[in-house]
Amino acid sequence: MNTIRKLFGTAATASILATGALADGHGWSLSDAAAPYAGTTVDVVFLLRPGYDAIEAMLPAFEEETGITVNIIKHPYENALGEQVRDFVSDGDLDVALIDLVWMGNFAENEWVLPLADVQAKFPDAVDPDLDIDDFFPLVLNAFGGWNDTIYGLPVDNYSGLMFYNRCMLEEAGFDGPPATWAELKDVYGPALTGDGQYAFALQSKRNETQSADSFARMIWPFGGSFLDENFRSNLNSPESQAGLQFRQDLMQYMPDGIVAYDHAEVVNGFAQGDIAIITEWSAFYSGVVSPETSTVADCVEIAPEPMGPAGRKPALGGFSMAVASQADEAEQAAAYLFIQWATSKANAVEYVERGGVSARQSAYQDPTLAETFKYIPALVESWQDGVPEFRPRFAEWPEITEIVQEWGTKMMLGEVTTEEGAQEIGTRMEAVLETAGYYSGDKPLAQ
Amino acid sequence: MRGQVSKRTIFAFIGPAVFGLAIVGIAPLLYAGWTSLHFFNLIKLRQVKFIGLDNYWTVLTDEVFWQAMGRTFFLLCTALPLQLAFGLGIALVLHKPGLTILKTLARLSLVLPMATTYAVVGLLGQVMFNQKFGVVNQLLGGANINWIGDPTNAFVMIIFWDVWQWTPFVALVLLAGLTMVPGEVEEAARLETKSAWKVLRYVQLPFLLPGLVAVLILRTADTLKLFDMVFTLTRGGPGAATEFISLMIQRVGFRGFDQGLASAQAIILLIITIILAQIYIRVFYKEV
Repeated sequence: MNTIRKLFGTAATASILATGALADGHGWSLSDAAAPYAGTTVDVVFLLRPGYDAIEAMLPAFEEETGITVNIIKHPYENALGEQVRDFVSDGDLDVALIDLVWMGNFAENEWVLPLADVQAKFPDAVDPDLDIDDFFPLVLNAFGGWNDTIYGLPVDNYSGLMFYNRCMLEEAGFDGPPATWAELKDVYGPALTGDGQYAFALQSKRNETQSADSFARMIWPFGGSFLDENFRSNLNSPESQAGLQFRQDLMQYMPDGIVAYDHAEVVNGFAQGDIAIITEWSAFYSGVVSPETSTVADCVEIAPEPMGPAGRKPALGGFSMAVASQADEAEQAAAYLFIQWATSKANAVEYVERGGVSARQSAYQDPTLAETFKYIPALVESWQDGVPEFRPRFAEWPEITEIVQEWGTKMMLGEVTTEEGAQEIGTRMEAVLETAGYYSGDKPLAQ
Repeated sequence: MRGQVSKRTIFAFIGPAVFGLAIVGIAPLLYAGWTSLHFFNLIKLRQVKFIGLDNYWTVLTDEVFWQAMGRTFFLLCTALPLQLAFGLGIALVLHKPGLTILKTLARLSLVLPMATTYAVVGLLGQVMFNQKFGVVNQLLGGANINWIGDPTNAFVMIIFWDVWQWTPFVALVLLAGLTMVPGEVEEAARLETKSAWKVLRYVQLPFLLPGLVAVLILRTADTLKLFDMVFTLTRGGPGAATEFISLMIQRVGFRGFDQGLASAQAIILLIITIILAQIYIRVFYKEV
């Protein structure tokens, strides 16, 4: 709580800076602010996802108004961290860092990105008086853009886990709505919706970040479990974590065979082809399942928040922020800031959503017509009230820990080890990583 | 002295090659050696420190490393005999007289699998072995075999692709060996015996041995560094069923960013490869 309060202190400082710019800068315009940096090229990593296509489609307007060129380097998610790490350690070309919420510790602790307030202080004329940082969902700004009480990045392409369900399949099976709880999904909807090549549910569980974030973490939190306890020791063998992991094993009987080979694409395609009745997926995949071009069930798609467990809803939280790279030269830093500010601005949020992105701006979702067009919005807004920022621990050691979770989480699902044995193995290895990092010797504070 | 080449000339000819080799081969190897003696994590560069042989000790006592190594050798021991058997069969068929145009076409088509990029083979595999719409299950009469999501099937799939891609290489090398057999010797042998096996064992095999040794060394080295195809096809999964040693090293070095540990793993792998190559040469060349 204290952390959140401090974080909002930083946010307030940023807001004051922004307001200061307003006071000094009546008639602020993007083109005037960008004039000194016209001709600058900003290098940024984008992912191969709808939210980035949306920004790319809007980009000509920014480039025309500012004279700044944005050079987009596209990577699939799995390559994005490695590519950026290699660029930053070699003092490369990137001017904007695209940071997953679990990468923020790495980028901030290595000082690869600049605190937002420092950038704003350095380039006061670039600060848009309408930045309105308080307009971002507080949970999202904290989880995606903040580290150790400091805001580094502004949220972009943010997701909450949502329940996508095929209303037609559910109605045919006699249901007039989606399951409210995970138990109901398994015990009632599972048997009724599985059979004849169709499955009640699919949980993307491929051995990559999907296994640790979308599958493993998704099951422990609603059951009251967590990766770590308050002393940073493994909590995976607690009764609550075990209940969640065992539930995942039990639920597999209502999923397609070989679910451990299913990534987002396989699950979304299975749902879009009418083979799977219910999936829990990121809001970012909404545009694909409601488009008749890519979905045979477009008219049947409905969205709800994820089911609740004994500990509540605790939906998955995922997404990114963009921050200014410290390795960029001054002009590039200013241009990068202008680009980030523009891409995440209140003014562009509605268009961003309309083009397939998911904005973290609260104001964007106050437009009732937008909520009617994009069915995921009410569920998304509700989920962002209940999300857990530490859904995956947000520290610099996560890249090592996620590899451990991916390996042993998959082995659990395959039945090669029991949930207890797998959790024990993950716990031992995870604690060894944290020990080496200095959390237990007191060299590093127990973040979060 | 007349006829003696000056040192300057020798250096001028050999120097560029040695320099190039040093830059692209030896320097990275030395750097990997240096890295392997340090705690060297890309996301913790401020903590770089000399730790002696700790990384090597970690590797040598790491159960997961030896499991990956065991998996890799199991792949080698299953795929290589198949490649040798099929390759020899193809070579013997192509070595027979007659049907010149068809044999030329066959030889050309043998190049295609080898010329296919490893990563593309993996992507092809994803589509062809898809449980629902893959052509392999269709060819098996609409079978519902879970290839990619089942540990055993995934391993079989990797063996299949490795055999598909590299049998032609073995065939071409052995075919080249067969063409080295003097025609009159082979003809005389066939007059002496009707047993094709005896001709193969006592006449052709001695000419095939140098090629076989080359195949053994190259395929062993290739299997130990097999990466692209498996990465795009299964990414080492499901679980760790197809996590071969190269995938493990990549995971440690580029997903866990522990370059020191990954370098130690790579150097141990290099030592194992050199030892194996030496064994192959000593055992088989002695036969020759």
